[in-house]
Amino acid sequence: MSRWLIALVVATSGVAHAEAPGLGTPADVSTTNTSAPADMSDQAIGAMIGVAGGGRTTPGGLLVAGHYYYQLNDQDWFDGAATFVFGSGEPDCFRDRADAMICDHGIADGYGGTLNVTARRFLPSLASGTFWPFVRAGVGGGIVRFSDDEVTGITLFLIGGTGLRASVSDTIAVTAGADLELGVGAFTNSVGFEPQLGVRISAGAEFKL
Amino acid sequence: MRFAIIAVVLAACQSSDVSRELGARCDTRNDCDDRCLLPSAEWPEGFCTTACETDLECPEGAACLEEEGGVCAFLCTADPGCTFLGPGYTCKERDARGGAGKRMVCRGG
Repeated sequence: MSRWLIALVVATSGVAHAEAPGLGTPADVSTTNTSAPADMSDQAIGAMIGVAGGGRTTPGGLLVAGHYYYQLNDQDWFDGAATFVFGSGEPDCFRDRADAMICDHGIADGYGGTLNVTARRFLPSLASGTFWPFVRAGVGGGIVRFSDDEVTGITLFLIGGTGLRASVSDTIAVTAGADLELGVGAFTNSVGFEPQLGVRISAGAEFKL
Repeated sequence: MRFAIIAVVLAACQSSDVSRELGARCDTRNDCDDRCLLPSAEWPEGFCTTACETDLECPEGAACLEEEGGVCAFLCTADPGCTFLGPGYTCKERDARGGAGKRMVCRGG
């Protein structure tokens, strides 16, 4: 895990050095780059859809996400994402015999909206043709709601994941990936602090800007 | 860091002996999946349960009693088996629903 954090810190320091769009020259993607897909521009957006697996107080269900990518260096891209999870609203919280509020939601319960900040690194040694595997790591946070239990929470978590990007054209690529989220949340209605442990699998498209 | 991750994973995997289906404390029907046996001497602090006609309609480890129109309660063999429900619960013999004999179950009273 410490390796992930180091990768994140390195990537984050890259953000500080990256020139803002429109204020400088974007990375020259016309030159041959063996560290990342040749069509990967300095900026891109993406739309993803998938499933999120949660449980207890981690939301799960249908996942929809929007991404913004910004090049940090030859191999790394900033990946900022707004992610929304839509699951069942059925009640699954109760008071145990010690009068502690316990939530035991299923894998696809609850609603969540999060903002994630990660760094994506391509793995050129594993690339094959237009298929480029990558890993990503970062942090996220957001709001979780279990409506029928009237339980709302704020979450913070670490993200680690992997995926595969395949170029379709000069401006479009398809991407699929899986992420693991591990963190903590603070919840209302006497639930208190709860661990967050979720898995997200998604696929979608990226569009060059 | 490693210990923190292990702690989070272990906490995420913990489970309770009771549930909204059977055994949770309750004051209203909304506290349970099906029925709330309101706090009383028979059901101290309230008791979430499920309406039933036979034992098969109850969760594992529970029996269907000839009470309140047929409700599920935890099976037991002796008083210590009921301590997880808190003070006031002991192991008692009661009629099973539908004349199916007797059952030893956790309850107050």
